[in-house]
Amino acid sequence: VIEIDEDKLIRCPVCGAVNIDKNKENSCRRCGSKIYHHRSFSTEKSWAFLITAMIAYIPANLYPMLITKQFGTEEGSTLLGGVVMLWEHGSYPISMIIFVASILIPVLKFLVLIYLLISVKYPIGKDKKVNKHKLYYMTEVIGPWSMIDVFVVAILAALIHLANIQIIAGTAATAFAISVFFTLLAAHAFDERLIKEYE
Amino acid sequence: MKLENEDALDNLIICQKCFTLHEEIPIKDGTKACCSECGAILYRYDSKLIDHGLALSLTGIVFFILANVFPLVQIEILGHEQFITIPKTIFSLFESGFYIVGLICAFLIFIFPLMIFTINMLLFTLLKIKRGEKLTKELLILLSHITPWSMTDIFLISILVALVKLIGYAQIHMGIAFWALMVFVLIDLYIVKRIHLSEIWMLRKRILLYEDKK
Repeated sequence: VIEIDEDKLIRCPVCGAVNIDKNKENSCRRCGSKIYHHRSFSTEKSWAFLITAMIAYIPANLYPMLITKQFGTEEGSTLLGGVVMLWEHGSYPISMIIFVASILIPVLKFLVLIYLLISVKYPIGKDKKVNKHKLYYMTEVIGPWSMIDVFVVAILAALIHLANIQIIAGTAATAFAISVFFTLLAAHAFDERLIKEYE
Repeated sequence: MKLENEDALDNLIICQKCFTLHEEIPIKDGTKACCSECGAILYRYDSKLIDHGLALSLTGIVFFILANVFPLVQIEILGHEQFITIPKTIFSLFESGFYIVGLICAFLIFIFPLMIFTINMLLFTLLKIKRGEKLTKELLILLSHITPWSMTDIFLISILVALVKLIGYAQIHMGIAFWALMVFVLIDLYIVKRIHLSEIWMLRKRILLYEDKK
């Protein structure tokens, strides 16, 4: 018979099995995956991915996302420019979708991850007004949706391929895809159990 | 809290959304158990899980193949007809020199979805014939790593957004692959919602224990 404290039970992030926290490097008894317990290490990895993502987000906004070649003239539109143009043309729903997917979600995700990463290290947000588990879960769920714009550009570029009119992807597409990719990595690298430890 | 041995931990479950500790209790066939704190589904009991999983993943693969072979959308613009398929979309990114975006897209909308369904099919087949103790473990671990990276649902919405942008410039016809992709996405969402990985882990344990006793 083993006597253990309920707080000593941890969930394997890979397979979900309940494990006993042995306070050193734990490996899951069911799937063998490592369950990290090094506080500094687990946030550093997440920070690194997050900073990469934020750096990549800068050129994603400055360079054109989409270049339209029409009868010899070239016209590029940036992320924000595309949203504004769609709004002016009266396609409000699509404009809103693109705005939410490529500007609101990435920026919110940066802020939420920064908040979470800081809050597990320093005593802020301890009043439990915000459910940090829910916050994290939300970013996990809505995060991938920022890929919409990249897919749209890929589809348009593949579809509009005529002699007179051509749509080609711009530099921002690469930067944006990289940014989304690293934000997702940062979210996955974040160790959720840190939230509980600091409650 | 007292436990007989480490295996008794399998009767415990921690909610994946709010991390509350629960004790697993037997429930009726076809019902689910929810977290008392946040209401998230903890586990379900489905006595025909293997057959359901096998049928769903097979159907999914069939629709995935259809979605990749036939044209997604066809447009008529300035008297020219153009169509795209999923592979063509990815290849055209490579052709125009966008290797990174092309690679990311290839993984997110082609390789990972295909892998997930193939793994599911293999997994349920192995469980059905009660074999592959090591292999099922490896497959389950792999599955939990790649599941968050499948984005066919997002791609489907992207197609619609792209088409709305083209309204007024071109005549649009939906292809067979679009509807096939839609069915595939629905099956994918259904599997993700209905079959939790922890249920397959439990099922695997039950089957292997049964084998040990024999």
